[in-house]
This record gives sequence, structure tokens and C-alpha cells, in this order.
Amino acid sequence: MSTKTLVRNEQDEEIAPRTTPTDRRDGVVGVGRPGFGWAAPAAVFFGLFALVPLILVAVLSFATWNGLSDPEFAGLDNWKKLFDDPVLIQSLWLSVLLTVLGVAVQTPLSILLGVWAAGHQRNRAILSAIYFVPLLLSVAAVSVLWRAVLDPNFGVPAQASWLFGDGNLFGHQASAIGVLVFVSTWQFTPLHTLIYQGAARAVPQVLYQAAQIDGAGTVRQFFHITLPQLRNSIITSMILMVVGGLTTFDTVLILTQGGPGTDTTISAYYMYQKAFKSFDYGTASAVGLLLVLVATVISLVMVRLSGYDKMRSTMEGL
Amino acid sequence: MTLRARMPRTAIVGGAALALLLSLSGCGTGSGTAGSDDGKIHILVYGDAANKVEKQLIATFNKQSKVKAVLDTIPGADYQAKLQTVINSKQAPDVFFNWGGGSIKPFVDADLLMPLDDFIAKDPELKTRFLPSVFNSAEIDGKPYGVPMRGTQPVLFFHNKQVLEDAGVKPPKTWDELLHAVKAIKAKGVTPIALGGGDRWPTLMWFEYLFDRVAGPGLFQKALDGDKAAWESADSKKALGMIRDLVDAGAFGTNFDSVKFTDQGSPTLLATGKAGFELMGSWEYSTQQDAHPEFAKKDLGYTAFPTVKGGKGDASDLVGNTNNFYSVLKKTEHPEAVAEFLKLQYSDEFVKAQLGIGNLPTTTNTPLFLQKAASPGYAKFQYELVEKAPAFQLSWDQAYPQSAATSMYQAIQQFFNGQLDEGGFIKAMQALPTS
Repeated sequence: MSTKTLVRNEQDEEIAPRTTPTDRRDGVVGVGRPGFGWAAPAAVFFGLFALVPLILVAVLSFATWNGLSDPEFAGLDNWKKLFDDPVLIQSLWLSVLLTVLGVAVQTPLSILLGVWAAGHQRNRAILSAIYFVPLLLSVAAVSVLWRAVLDPNFGVPAQASWLFGDGNLFGHQASAIGVLVFVSTWQFTPLHTLIYQGAARAVPQVLYQAAQIDGAGTVRQFFHITLPQLRNSIITSMILMVVGGLTTFDTVLILTQGGPGTDTTISAYYMYQKAFKSFDYGTASAVGLLLVLVATVISLVMVRLSGYDKMRSTMEGL
Repeated sequence: MTLRARMPRTAIVGGAALALLLSLSGCGTGSGTAGSDDGKIHILVYGDAANKVEKQLIATFNKQSKVKAVLDTIPGADYQAKLQTVINSKQAPDVFFNWGGGSIKPFVDADLLMPLDDFIAKDPELKTRFLPSVFNSAEIDGKPYGVPMRGTQPVLFFHNKQVLEDAGVKPPKTWDELLHAVKAIKAKGVTPIALGGGDRWPTLMWFEYLFDRVAGPGLFQKALDGDKAAWESADSKKALGMIRDLVDAGAFGTNFDSVKFTDQGSPTLLATGKAGFELMGSWEYSTQQDAHPEFAKKDLGYTAFPTVKGGKGDASDLVGNTNNFYSVLKKTEHPEAVAEFLKLQYSDEFVKAQLGIGNLPTTTNTPLFLQKAASPGYAKFQYELVEKAPAFQLSWDQAYPQSAATSMYQAIQQFFNGQLDEGGFIKAMQALPTS
């Protein structure tokens, strides 16, 4: 079949589609855009489990409800209370702080590990397989484990007092935050390492070969070829970290329970306390909605600033 | 294909989603009307090892009653949250387990519970067969709402006999003796008192006892009734000052906020001789028996909390979990059957079964069977304490409404570790919701 006939046939179909239902090319036209029906399962799930709860939460945030009697409309009371609440303001800052620290610690670590693991040497393959293990464990299990390892009397701090002092890691704000950042780093760096490993392997070898001919060493190659080539992966990984950081909950629940005092009560945990400890679903809904707003704004800003929405190719000119 | 042609499908998808949504929300809003009656009474209980006894009693009940009873359990920590969800729904139980006091106050306020006055009028033993200090802690606004259904758990002062002997001190009877013992044990390089501050409720026990010893049970009751000035009173400040002094004297070491009771941290400190004392609920004994049987047999000692000179509280006052209770929903369709079931909670069979699993019931016939308890000496010691106690203060976190617990824990922890001063603590306690 020549190109010419194909073109003519398509034109024919545009004028009079489905004249011959058995014609093979009838299907070819449909490939252009799948019907809306295909989106239905995802749309229904998203609607039921994301949009509808979001709307209900928004409604509840203007009501007082303890789960027993019917919700009572309370106007802006919950919201007014919220902005006078020092714990809430602090919790937002803590969420942001934990997120920023998480990104700042995990990104360089996972880029270096990922680029290193991208090599095809056998020892690297084995080590990266081992290093992947923490990701397979549940967050709860990991938190319980570290809580035991960091016990001041029977854990590591008891044996290394030169580093940990009296071992009161969960009794001070700075050290408690440090523990939270450390444990999430321990658990989630492997995921990001994996992202970078894949991305680094996808960097065309010709670039390195050309750089070598020009006399660039390993360090220069890393900064001038690898890093720029990883740009889209860095943004992907950072967005994952930010989302993960803002919604951190299980580590806080198990490791610090928001303490000492309210020193590690991040927003997601504060919402949980309000809803399921204090049975104040109105305030909890307001906190939840606020968290949604903050997270949306942050991810919009990130996408804008990074140019991710333009999806520029790293393969230009190749 | 044009855009217009797609519109109907969108509408269908949207319509289907909406229909699903409506049918879902339909399930959730049914409330108020009497439950789906299957001719049985449903008994909802906190799920743990003690369910053995509840099962046995229900079997006994089903043998003698036309209306049958069914045991439903919710395991562990989720109990209160799930109860809150289910209690005003069609799936609500007829009878349910609770901690008395603040744990049922919101349900009483929402008019969901049945006062037991009528039951007691028909069968006075439903009240008189229980120790009054325990029975009273499930009274709300002067009306009884609960029948004790497990064991009492007073908070006791435990010690490691070996550590005390090494430091040359005796178990302290007074506050001054305690201060002296703290100094002597500290001089030996041992943490005087083990404290699971990471859990926060163990810290609270120190407040409960000191406020009672210094001011008597009246001060807390006043505060609970909404008199916020109680927290600013001289007695309150005196108790706070004593706590401050004890912490500053190094009685608890420095890293208590990183230690927990629930992960065996503080009990192990006591058992391994790394600490001399621990203030803990009576379950400390069984905890030690499980984890450190040698220590429990040989070196685990226990006393009542020390007295405070010049304090207004009776030296035999207790604090802790008075007991667990069965409360009855107003909308139950078988009140007579429920009343019959509650009567079993002071039967000889009940007492024997509870003692068999290590619980200490609070019925008046309990002493008859104490010799059969797992640890007769310990059981007898506790029973006499509870029987003689003029006041048995329900743990503060359970006496206050649930909505107060989180903020209360925070204030307790922050005052104890020095983040909050006296004024800050008083303000935080005054800000707690009382009803």
C-alpha cells in the first residue's frame, strides 16, 4: 500500500466516516483521542474518594460536630479560633520546616547515591539492592524500630553518651525534629535513589564521551552533564518529597506523639488530634482544609518556578 | 467526533457518581431511631485478654434468659474513637464498656444513656453490692450511669527492694522520707524514680496524687465543675511547687521524656536496678511478672503513696482507674434483660472469673474469694486500700471530657520538664473544657 492511497483514504473517511464498518482504517481514526468513557472509572474513584470528602470537609469546617449529635452550623467560628491558636500556627511552620529539612537532606544524598548506583559494576548492583530494603518496610514498623534503637537507657544512646549526652532525644524540640528527619531520610532516600538511578542511566553516553574528548574530569562531567540532564527527575523527586513531608503523620504518631509538649505537632498530626482525640471534627476539618490549601499553593509555586509545566526536553540538540 | 456528541456520556458518568454518592451518604445518616432489632442485646467491650470473662458471663446469661446476649469487641486503642462513631447509629450496642466519668459525659449530654435509678429501685443490690468509691465514679450529675464490670486499678508506689537496701533507705511513708530516699539513691548513681514521660499519663499520676494529698479531693472536683480559680489557689501552687522541687532534685533523671512505660522502658529500669521507684497503676505487678518474673517474685515492693505533712487530703485516698463500667443505652428494646445481665456483675461466678485472670473486682463479696487470687497477698493489699479509701480519684484524663485530654497531657509534660512555669501551667489547665 503506498503512502498516497493512505492519505486519500483518510480524507475519504473525514468526509463520510463509517461507510464501510469493516474497513481497517476505521480504527486508526479512533486512536487520535480515546473516548471520555475511558476516564470514567478513574473519575468516579477520584470523585468519591477525593472530591466528595473534600467538599464534606469544607462544609464541616463551618460547623461544630462531636460525632454524636447532628452538626451545628457555626459560621466562621472554627476559622477564627484557628488563627488565634498558637499551636496551629506553630504546626504549619513545623510542617514546612520538616519538609524543607527532608528535601535538603534527602536530595543531595539520593542524587549522589543514584548516580553512583547507575554504574553497571556488580558490587554496585548488589549494594543498591541491599540499600533498597528500608523502602520495603512499613513506615510504622520502621518508626517502632527506631524508637527502640534510640531508647535512652537500652538503645544506642546509652552506649554512645559522647554523642547523645543523656540520650533525651525525644525531650527537646531540636533533637526530636532531628530524629523525625533522620528516620524519614533513612526510609525514603532509597525511593529517590531509585528515581535518580534510572534517570542517570538514561543520560546518553555520547555526552560523556564528548566531554572526555574535551578533557572534562569526573567532577565537571557530574556538574555540567549529569545534573542538568537530571533536571526533570529532580523536580519529580522534590515534589514527591514535599507532598510526603506535608502529609507526614505515622512517624510523628509513633515516634514523638507531637511532643515534647507541642514541639513536633505538625499540621497533619494536629488535625488527627482534633478529630480523633478531642472529637472536635469542625476544627479538624478546618485544619485539614488549610493543609490542602497550603499544599496546593506550594506545589503550584514549585511547578511554576521550576518550569516543570513546560516540560522542556533534556534531549534537545541530540 | 465533536464535543457536543460527548456531552451525554459526561452526564451519565456524573449521574452515576452522584447516585452512588447519595446511596453511600444514605447509609451514614440513619440515627436516632431504635437499632435494627434482631431480638438480642448487644454488648460492646474493649477487646483484650479479659474478654474471656465477659464471654463466660454471657454464656451463663444466655442459659437463663429468653433474650440472648451477644458480645462485640473492638480491639485496643481504637475503642473510644469507634465507640463515638457507632453509638449514635443503627449499629449502636445496648450495653457498652467504658471508663466512667468524662468518658461517658458526652453521651449523657447527648441524651443517649439510661440512668440506672429504675434498675436500682427494683434491685438495690445493683448499687449496694459495689464499693461506693468505685461505683460513684460513674455518676454524672448525681445519677448513676455505670455498673463496675472488671477490676480496679489504683495507682501504687512500687520499688526495687534491692536498690533501696543498697542505698540504706526504707520504703518512704511520708513526703520527707521520699525526698531523703531520692537523695540517698541518687548518691549511689542510680536514677531514683523511673518515669515513662514519653507516654505522658505516667507523669500525670504524680499530679493526681500530690494535688490530692495537699488539697484533698475537693480541689480537683471544683476545677472539674468549672471553677477555674481552683487552679490558682494556694494549695494548687503548693502542690506544683513540690513537683517542681522533686524534678529539680533530679528524682527522675534528665531523660524521662524519652522513656515510655508502654514499650517496657520504665518497668525495665525498675527491674534491672537502674531506678529505685516507679509510680504506676496496679498493672505494674503483672507487667513485671510477665517481663521479669524473677524480679517480681523477689525484689518488687509496693506501698501506698506517701503522706504529706499538713496536707488536707486523707492519707488513704487513692487515684487511678476505679474500674471499668457497663453503661446502658436509652434506646435499648430489652431493658429487663439488660437489668438481669447487669446483676451478674456482682455474682460469685463473676468474682471468681475476674480473680482468675488477675483482675481485682470491686464487689462486696470479693474478700470471700481473695485466697483464690493469682497473687493473694497483692490482691488483698489492694482490696483493703480501695475498701478503706475515703476518696478514689478517677484519673484526671478520664474525669475530664475527652476533648480536654490532649491539651492536659501537653501542659502536664511541659510543666514537668520545665517548658512551662507555674503561671503557664495554671493558665493551660484553666483553658481546658470542663463540660
